Amino acid sequence: MPVWLKNNGLSIGFGLIFLASLVGQAISGHASVNHDAFLHHGDPISFWHYVTSALFWTDVMENWQSEYLQFTLYIFATVWLLQKGSNESKPLTDAGAESDEQQKLGSYAKPDSPKWARIGGWRTTIYSNSLLLVMGSIWLLSWFAQSITGRVNYNAEQLDHLAAPVSWATYVTTSDFWNRTLQNWQSEFLAVGSMAILTVYLRQRGSPESKPVGEPHDVTGSSG
Amino acid sequence: MRSVRVVFVIYLVGIVAGLAYAIALGFGGH
Repeated sequence: MPVWLKNNGLSIGFGLIFLASLVGQAISGHASVNHDAFLHHGDPISFWHYVTSALFWTDVMENWQSEYLQFTLYIFATVWLLQKGSNESKPLTDAGAESDEQQKLGSYAKPDSPKWARIGGWRTTIYSNSLLLVMGSIWLLSWFAQSITGRVNYNAEQLDHLAAPVSWATYVTTSDFWNRTLQNWQSEFLAVGSMAILTVYLRQRGSPESKPVGEPHDVTGSSG
Repeated sequence: MRSVRVVFVIYLVGIVAGLAYAIALGFGGH
């Protein structure tokens, strides 16, 4: 295996199954839309029309936003919220943002630490929260994208039924918007809660998402 | 680390492109 592939196996592997799933979603979504059109005596649309339509992109954005919310909340919540015995938690004594020494900041930085961890001031503050800032921004932008593409679909449906189109401010108060949003959020939160508590007692040999198999149940935050 | 940086940039550019396209589509009203 080439070194570049070995070094990036996780991100390339997940990138590839993301693309394969996106193509699968496009193919099945297109077939589903045309089946619906057939049942309602409408005209079928081309594959290209479908993948460049708000119909497809609302579905994509709706799922993106919930995943990025999941990770954003997890990054943020695990600074303060802990779970005794969980591999997903820090040790119970480390709640909060931790000391500069623990975080290798300023004078505690190592020679090969990132420059913005060493430099202090606003740059260190930004860099100290950069993962949360970027993941949170992707969440908010994808949620916004869901709302504006969702409104396009909603209004097309309204016009089909001779009802008045709605503004964006009205759309984000509709049951359609919140049903799409919350059906994704509930599953993300359940999965996160499950990981927090199941890793107390269950193990996967070799996975950093699990404690070592022989680690006692009451040991917190000890990746295997 | 060069290949890691390349993958990092590909991810970020891909995500931003997807978001930008969806937002443009939403504003375009198609």
